[in-house]
Amino acid sequence: MLGESRDPRKVFGAAVTAIANTDERVVILSADSGKSSGFTQFAADHPDRYFELGIMEQGVTGVAAGLATTGKIPVFCAIAPFTTARPFEMVRNDVGYMRQNVKIVGRNSGISYSDLGATHHSLEDFAIMRMIPGMTVIAPQDPSEIEAAARAMLQHDGPVYLRIGNDPIPEIFEPGPFAIGKARVAREGSDVTLVSTGNLTAPALEAAAMAGENGVSVEVLAMPTVWPLDAAALLTSAAKTGRVVTVEEHYVIGGLGTIVQETLSGQAVPVMKLGIPHEYATSGPYLEVLAHYGLDARGIATVVSGG
Amino acid sequence: MTLAHTIRLRAARARANVVRMVRSSGAGHLGGALSCIDIVAAIYSTMRADPANPAWPERDRFVLSAGHKCMAQYAVLADAGYFPLEVLDTYGKLGSKIPGHPDMHKLPGIEANTGALGHGLAICVGMALGLRGTRAKVFTILGDGELPEGSNWEAFAAAAFHQVDNLTAFIDVNGLQISGSTEDVMDMEPIDAKLRSFGWDVRCVDGHDVEQLIEVLAGVPFTAGKPSAVIARTVKSKGLSFAEGDVNYHYWKPKDGELAQAEAETQVEIDRLERGCHARRVA
Repeated sequence: MLGESRDPRKVFGAAVTAIANTDERVVILSADSGKSSGFTQFAADHPDRYFELGIMEQGVTGVAAGLATTGKIPVFCAIAPFTTARPFEMVRNDVGYMRQNVKIVGRNSGISYSDLGATHHSLEDFAIMRMIPGMTVIAPQDPSEIEAAARAMLQHDGPVYLRIGNDPIPEIFEPGPFAIGKARVAREGSDVTLVSTGNLTAPALEAAAMAGENGVSVEVLAMPTVWPLDAAALLTSAAKTGRVVTVEEHYVIGGLGTIVQETLSGQAVPVMKLGIPHEYATSGPYLEVLAHYGLDARGIATVVSGG
Repeated sequence: MTLAHTIRLRAARARANVVRMVRSSGAGHLGGALSCIDIVAAIYSTMRADPANPAWPERDRFVLSAGHKCMAQYAVLADAGYFPLEVLDTYGKLGSKIPGHPDMHKLPGIEANTGALGHGLAICVGMALGLRGTRAKVFTILGDGELPEGSNWEAFAAAAFHQVDNLTAFIDVNGLQISGSTEDVMDMEPIDAKLRSFGWDVRCVDGHDVEQLIEVLAGVPFTAGKPSAVIARTVKSKGLSFAEGDVNYHYWKPKDGELAQAEAETQVEIDRLERGCHARRVA
């Protein structure tokens, strides 16, 4: 059953703020993006640890790396393509290559700014961020998991990319600690493994229920850490079901589905990937765009049911 | 020995160290290394840092934004005792601790992984913000050829806006880059006026005049609440007669006899400075 829905940005901002209030190493960086990332109160309470830099994502990323060399834990949250694609070389060199403890957060990720057009979509962020050695890539799946993942992200010593969406999302799990790199079996099944991440785990669970009514037993393997992938959990589930479907709010190439295929190479397990086709996605209301690409519960159910 | 003489001698030995690295590797970014090496020697001879404790939290930081000039930094770090001189003989070799652009995880004294241009200054702004409230200062050298990188101007703006006055940026204006003169490739002059308009306090020096370098280094921040910039006019490949001011020595693959000549010329300068030192001691 789906629980109460909450705004992912507010949940994230409040979670980081609660930790930052007591951990003086945490500093917030803004590219005119902090207040819309849930840090208005933090900025007022801790002006010495809130750095507004204006719209200069390359500069912000470099500044974040420099701050991290002095022991700070910088958190930079902005619209996802502007924290990933725009400053990519700074993320790669200044954060990744320099192995700095910087937390990069892409909000309004995937296609969640659906109506704003392709400039504001981030459908390649999993692909490019996982290419940076040492980078952890996380896509929490419900509000409580955003809170737990924010805590885990700040406790983790190393660069992290965390992506959240825009629209309110429902609770789907019992709240608990977040273990980076661990999948969870959100629903047990025996006919097919449905690997999901981020915002699409909720519709994946709905789809599994719908398929169950049609006699198809779906195991939902929720994968909030996209990289490094929980290979053991995937191999175990795939061996059990013998068939894998992946679903993500990302290009159908380069992301979770590709990582699953890489992990299962050498296994005689067919993998079908659901995501946004490799094109500049159409615009419109978020749920309608998802349904357009078959990424709503009905679309996912059709595929996992074998149709 | 005066501070100026110490720095001149260090720079002279460092020039010889650069030639030593090129003998090891067979090639290297010579021109920029030798245009900035007096500045690098002056910074390391005056900054608060301890080669025996390179991770001292309150040390001053130096970041070479123009990372391809790293032979200058390696040469001075070795001379200052950060690592044994023999490491210089690994330049260009498999697994060397001194790769063609610096790596902070391979060598003590390196503070940032530069090489891609336009990265160093923003990193320095972050370092300087993180070191607020301590005595530590942050120094960087940018090449004039990297000034067109837009990310630099993001960082110039941010440093002034946040009143980062524990940051000093030298601009090594040797006037040449791979394709020719900076004036012909992408003219960024007047650099001093641009930086002033961005809110920096600016001084202009001869980048090979050690007395002038000492003076500006002793005077930073020039104005409380403002970042400091030093426009240093320099000569590419300074110190090697056959290469000075010649864009073809941006990246040097020595031809017949050049290495021997370079070794001889750098040694002559060391000997001259050491004689001067000795003469003063006798007097």
